[in-house]
Formats: sequence, C-alpha cells, structure tokens
Amino acid sequence: MLILLDSHSGKPVFRQILEQVRFQVAGGILKPGDELPSTRQLAADLDLNPMTVSKAYAQLEQEGVVERRPGLSLVVRAPRGDELDARRREELARVLGPAASAARQLGLDVDVALEVFRQALARRGGDDGKQ
Amino acid sequence: MESNDNGAIVVADRIEKRFGAAGAGSLALDGVTLAIPRGRVVGLVGRNGSGKTTLLRVLQGLLLPTNGRARVFGTDVAQLGDADLARLGAVHQENRFLTWMSGRAHLDFVRSFFTSWDAQRERRLVDALELDLAQKIGTMSPGNVQKLAIVAATCHRPQLLLLDEPAAALDPLAREALLQSLLELLREDGPAIVISSHALRDVERIVDWITCLERGRVVKDAPLDVLQEGYAEWRVTTPRGALPARFVEPWVISQAVEGRQAVLCVRDPEEHRAHFATRYQAEVESRPLGLERLFPLWIDRGPA
Repeated sequence: MLILLDSHSGKPVFRQILEQVRFQVAGGILKPGDELPSTRQLAADLDLNPMTVSKAYAQLEQEGVVERRPGLSLVVRAPRGDELDARRREELARVLGPAASAARQLGLDVDVALEVFRQALARRGGDDGKQ
Repeated sequence: MESNDNGAIVVADRIEKRFGAAGAGSLALDGVTLAIPRGRVVGLVGRNGSGKTTLLRVLQGLLLPTNGRARVFGTDVAQLGDADLARLGAVHQENRFLTWMSGRAHLDFVRSFFTSWDAQRERRLVDALELDLAQKIGTMSPGNVQKLAIVAATCHRPQLLLLDEPAAALDPLAREALLQSLLELLREDGPAIVISSHALRDVERIVDWITCLERGRVVKDAPLDVLQEGYAEWRVTTPRGALPARFVEPWVISQAVEGRQAVLCVRDPEEHRAHFATRYQAEVESRPLGLERLFPLWIDRGPA
C-alpha cells in the first residue's frame, strides 16, 4: 500500500491516510481481502507515531472500509450491494467540489463546465487529477 | 506498577509553583492539570517564561510544587525512588556535564546506573548523530553536548521521556536523526514523551498532542489533529452580490475584506461553512492553518 504524505499541508496526517486508503479501495487498487500493513509497519514506513496510524485504521474499520480478522491484521472488506458504487461517486464528488466552485466563480454555464469536464475525462495521463 | 491513574504515566493535579516569597514571588505554574498516557507524544509549547521548563522539572522531582500534586508512574514526584528514576529519561535545556570527561566516559558512567541499557541503540544513535565520543565534553560544541545528552537520556529504554528544547542546538541533519530515534523508541517501547519546543515545525511530525502554556496556565490541551481541524483559513468570493464590510460572526477570528473577496481566519470551519456559503451566496475555499499560525491565536485569546 502506497501512501503519500504532505507534511506541510496542515491537514492531519491520520486524515491523509484515511482519505488515500478510502480512495484506493473505491478505485479497486486495494481489493477485498487485501491485507493492510500493520500499524507498526506503516508507522515505520512513513516515519510516523504509531498512534497516528492507529487512529486512521480505527476510523477505516468503523466506516466498514476494512475489517479485522481474528488474530490477523486489517483486510479490505468486500462491499455489499451498491456500496462500492456509492463510494466511488462520493470520492469523485469530493474532488469535484472545488472544481464546481471555480466554475461558478468563473461564471461558466453548466453546459460549458460539463463540456470542459468531458474533455478532461477524455484526456489521459494528465496529472491534474486527484489530491 | 503502582499506577492507579487510569493508565496515565504523568498526572498533574492543579500544581502551582511559586518562586520567591509567598505573596510576593512570581507564579511560574498556576494550576496546571494534566494527564499523559503511555504512547502519547506531547508537544509542550508556549512563549519563553510560560512555565515549560518549570513543569518539566517538577515532573522529574527536581522542583517540588508549592501547591497541588504531581505523580509520575503513580508515585508522588516528591517521593520518586531509584526504580522510578530508572524509567525516566530527560534532556535539559542546559546540560551540566563534567567537562574533563570524554563522551565515551560520560556514557559509560551513565549506563552503569541502568540494567536496561541498550548498547545497540547507543551505537545506532551515536552513528546517526555523527557524535565523536573520543572528544572531551569541555571542547564539544553546544550541539554535540546536546547530542550526547540525547543519547544518555534514551538508551535505557525509558517509559517517560522529558525533552526540554532538544533540537535547539541541532542542525537540520541532527534534528532528523533525533526524530528518527524518537520514532524508533515509540515503535519499540511506546513510552510517553513530552517535548518542549519553540520550533513547532520540528515537533509537528511526531507529536499527537499539544499542550500550550501561557503565564503558567494551560491554555490548550488537545489532540493535534483536533486543533488542526478546529481552525481554518477561508478565501471567500461572492460572484454576485457583495460581502459585508465586516463579518460579525463570533467564530471569525480575523478578517480582511476587499469588495467581493475576503480572507477569514475561522474557528470550527466545518460547522459553519455550509450555512455561511448559503447566507452570503459565497464560494468558500478552505485551507488548514499550520501549527505556527494557530499558536498565536491561543496565546492572545487565552482559554477558549
């Protein structure tokens, strides 16, 4: 599992971990049954206080993104029903919020804004994407 | 372990410390109440003279509180015995070591008090800090003396580590080595650590709790992430309409309004954002404030 931290963003580190794991699960990079690194291991990899990792993991567990197997570490939980779909939409909505705000500030028509998004979707390899 | 403080390693209960005569002297600590459990890394922040060093000295039994009680490992700090002290590690702001000793001799002297001394950790730490142990302490730079103090305070696997401005005399590489060694300590032994520091950037990466002192009082005592998310900077833009000349919302801490744009510093951003955006028909771009910018807010406003 690869996590990229921005130590200067002012955003709590536990939340950065939380959001990135959520996104990777929603996007299928982390698959149901995949094991998350242990708290200790991830703390060592990322140079963090283990408490920070614990906090992110506890919340992921609470949200049902991962589950604890008896005696094992955390694994990605298999989504139920349309849960996966809902999560994907949620993730996209989260990053599109600021884009929508920019469109309104620029005074763009909805149709024009959607057209720009459509073009952006068609463009591959751009790094002007998420986080 | 006689710890009956709900697992807390440090408990301070309304401690006061007065220097000088009663009634006339100054109050360095003015009713400090704290509890620090195992595994917590506290960033102890505050201006010069706010009481940080006094508090750290009280917790080691080097100063006794004038009023109130402080317990470490469940023992009153006035009664700390050898067994308690063996579980405690401390780095002082000013170290008074024997200047004629070499670094090696000093470490050998210190380690002779502890059965739990980890020689491997000592070697790793000395290497990481690039410390020359052959040098006499009297000829060492302040930075090297501080490095020696860090090695001497951490190799006996302490369960409570009190660090008073540990990074003050260190260059960036040595600071990084210090952080790494503290992280290693946390992973292996999970002690409670208290780090006092002016350089908030240094501690931000490792602390998970902030305790802020001002004039001997605790003005903030909360998890770092709660504090980080408790404030934000907003850029407010209203494409139509206008903004008020001045926002009167009590949770707006500071503001600069210019026509249809404003930059606000706000408390509890997520609680207010949606309502605010609707009310002013405004676009709100929210950004976290760094610890350096939060700190003055607590100092100026006192207990919130």
